[in-house]
Amino acid sequence: MPGFLFKKLHFKKILNHEQKKSAGQYSSSVSLSQNLEENLRVLREALGSSSDVIIRDMKISSDSNIDAAVVYIDGLVDRALLNHDILRPLMFNLQLIKDNLSHNHKSLIDYIKSSVLTVGQITVVQDIDRVIARVLTGHTAILTEGATRALLIDAKGWETRRIEEPKNELSIRGSKESFTETLRTNTALLRRKIRDPRLTFESLQIGERSKTDVSIAYVQGITPDNLIEEIKQRLQRIDTDIILDVSYLEQFIEDSPSSLFPTVGSSERPDVVAARILEGRAAILVDGSPMALTVPFLFIEGFQNPDDYYARPFFAALVRWVRLLGYLLSIYLPGIFVSLKTFHPELFPTQLLVSVAAAREGLPLPVVLEALLMLLLFEILREAGLRMPRSLGQAVSIVGALVIGQAAVSAGLVGAPMVIVIATTAIASFLVILFAEPGALYRFIMTLAGGLLGLFGIVLVSIEMLSHLASLRSLGVAYLSPVTPLNIRGLRDTFIRAPLWAMDSRPVSLDSPNTRRQSSGQMPRPPKSSSQQGDTQ
Amino acid sequence: MKRKHRLTICLLILLVIIPVFISGCWDSIELNKLSIISGLGWDIDADTGQLTLTFQSIIPSEIKSAAGSSGDVGQKRGDPLHTIQLDSSTGSSAYDALNRYSQQSSRRTFYQHTQLYVFGHSAAEKGIYPLLDSIARNPVNRPNVLMAVAEKKASDTLSVEAGMENIQAIGMAAQIKLSAEYSKFPVVTYLEFAQRLLSETTAPLAPMVGIIEQTGPEGDRVQKTRISATAVFKGDKMIGQLNEDESRGLLWAINKIKKGFLVIPGANLEIVSAKSKIVPELQDDKIMITIAIDEESNLLEYDGHQEISSDLLQDLEKGQAREIESQVMAAVEKSRALNADVFGFGEAVHRKYKKEWRDLKARWDEIYPYIEIVVKVKTHVNEIGEINRSLN
Repeated sequence: MPGFLFKKLHFKKILNHEQKKSAGQYSSSVSLSQNLEENLRVLREALGSSSDVIIRDMKISSDSNIDAAVVYIDGLVDRALLNHDILRPLMFNLQLIKDNLSHNHKSLIDYIKSSVLTVGQITVVQDIDRVIARVLTGHTAILTEGATRALLIDAKGWETRRIEEPKNELSIRGSKESFTETLRTNTALLRRKIRDPRLTFESLQIGERSKTDVSIAYVQGITPDNLIEEIKQRLQRIDTDIILDVSYLEQFIEDSPSSLFPTVGSSERPDVVAARILEGRAAILVDGSPMALTVPFLFIEGFQNPDDYYARPFFAALVRWVRLLGYLLSIYLPGIFVSLKTFHPELFPTQLLVSVAAAREGLPLPVVLEALLMLLLFEILREAGLRMPRSLGQAVSIVGALVIGQAAVSAGLVGAPMVIVIATTAIASFLVILFAEPGALYRFIMTLAGGLLGLFGIVLVSIEMLSHLASLRSLGVAYLSPVTPLNIRGLRDTFIRAPLWAMDSRPVSLDSPNTRRQSSGQMPRPPKSSSQQGDTQ
Repeated sequence: MKRKHRLTICLLILLVIIPVFISGCWDSIELNKLSIISGLGWDIDADTGQLTLTFQSIIPSEIKSAAGSSGDVGQKRGDPLHTIQLDSSTGSSAYDALNRYSQQSSRRTFYQHTQLYVFGHSAAEKGIYPLLDSIARNPVNRPNVLMAVAEKKASDTLSVEAGMENIQAIGMAAQIKLSAEYSKFPVVTYLEFAQRLLSETTAPLAPMVGIIEQTGPEGDRVQKTRISATAVFKGDKMIGQLNEDESRGLLWAINKIKKGFLVIPGANLEIVSAKSKIVPELQDDKIMITIAIDEESNLLEYDGHQEISSDLLQDLEKGQAREIESQVMAAVEKSRALNADVFGFGEAVHRKYKKEWRDLKARWDEIYPYIEIVVKVKTHVNEIGEINRSLN
């Protein structure tokens, strides 16, 4: 049913798309002309009269007779670098060189590149479109009279956020750095974790107007080639105005857009992304987004946490079970409670039934409505707490606690057991943040089904949910693997977390061409000689 | 064409959605529209033959005030029955009485959590088959409800103050279970009672509940329930009862001893484990039944002056065996007198001698009092504690 609607919407989009194409600004490719004035006129036309576009005219060469211009966008360029390493050598050093009178206009560009400018990355282009595009990303362009080529100097520099502690994916023992908005910083963070020459960042630009840099990160020989091909295809298909965040890409490339569950993973932690890349996945980084996407994404990844691998395996297994149980609770608890209360009171133990019935005395609302009301109140509180200016936080939490907890019970609107159930559910829903959204939706559905059809309804919705989960694919990998299709070896990192020395192979369901992660039999043992010593002592 | 398509889809959606909503709530019940029945009692008036059904239902709001805010508990303490409500209705049959009950109740009755069925003495003597049938035919009744026979009237028994439990029937059921735990009286569920009733020869049993009076803390008289005997049925009619010793003897024979105390002259022992087996033997139309009992115990109390030695332990074991045998024989004598096969000897013979049973079955009432019964007891005293010499 949702798929049907999506198709309709998609059809409309194609129509819009045609109109948008015709409105494109600079589709023809124009080469630079020899005339500097002409070039600058084209640039001015393309870049408009925007105040942040700076075109700096100057005269260069030893006798200051050649017109030249430096084009950049103020704010995207490191000013110190521009003044000190570009403008100064151009205007000052070039005039000092007396023996270079023999040069002609054509080789002047090469001469500037090879002997004058003291900056790292310089490219030579002949295309005026390239000049425009690069200037807009923060490059500085140098054009000279009589040359059909321009120099593009990477002197980018703007205010960025420092690398900070992860805000959403906390870890006790793991590294305390998270991705920032700058793509290069993010790739550097990954490069510092994986110093393999085969770690590759493939770049492309997406977004008709935003021209956002996107990088696909993978390790050659570990990430399957067809996976990278598929990702590239899906990314290249995207045709939209702007990519503000990785989640834009996520929505364009995911396998099942009509599913409640995400089929693309994301993380803000470089260590998590590095680990996933080395399991045989690929990561997608977007300039301007402090998150990285990882594909394929399996259901069980939502229950994995970096601390699982940093802590010792026994506790990690316990915590993983707690997460699984907590997630089930967060979906099922209100539904089951409601269905037991309205349809199957005989399933309560007698004493529990008596206290539940005692709390139920004199309440005005039917149990289903009571539960839905409380769930709705909780969602309102959660959303308010999330969006509200920080200085108001206290007020909301106090009012929320009083309204939901105390007042509702003492006013006789809601029973105390229901408050306990909803509170437990609410806390449990924060255990698995990745699936919090589908969890909240299914919680409502389950409650409604439990209130209308009892346990029968809950079973119906569960069947729907499970069969849907089993049908999902993430870039060709079954969503529920390694549980179904069952893979015994894969189970080492599912319901338990095997010791690191026992996880010799990469996850089989990811189909990596390089299956072995490490040599087997690395279980730490005391050295033989010393153990004999210990015996004799 | 397209319109038609859309219409079909809409119809399909409605077909899926509407049944969910219209079929949904037909058997939903809100807890505050239920009266949770904790115990049920049946009395039959011996003169008129009218049946009185007693409902003991839980008043949840009272339990709320008792468990919740501690302020207003005190004023309720004087009221003996503040968490349960007793209702009774009288009719010519079980369902007639039940029918009349709807005239005086504001809530639907909810039987799934019933703890106890109490049959009045007169009802039990008159025969409880129609009552059991009315229970069995209604699927809301559960087969694991405990059975009890009141010494006098079921309605009086259900109205005795609860003691420690806040719901009287739960307390009484716990009392019966504890008496079985200490191997005093059998605990009988509805299912077990019905099974014995369906067997052609075995006599159904049920613990009997009496009312005793004690002096309360303020000098007032306080009523309490007490398990006093085992009621023995023949068919669906109660024909007699086993007293405390005979009940213990019965439990020895039917392998229902769990733990408990055994008092013999000069010593008190704690039963650790006990097993028993009924072995029938058929010789020339004469039935001999061996009850083999294997018991282990710990010494709890020793009144003598001797140092505890292996000789003394042997004496204790012999004394124990004698005591057990006498308890079993007391039960046997009583069952002979009542001519009720409380032990299930008939079933044991049936299992071993299938062919002969057809013949024996018809004459079982004549045969039963004359069956030869041998009790073989093996006992062992396990531990005597750390004290070897007697303290005095």
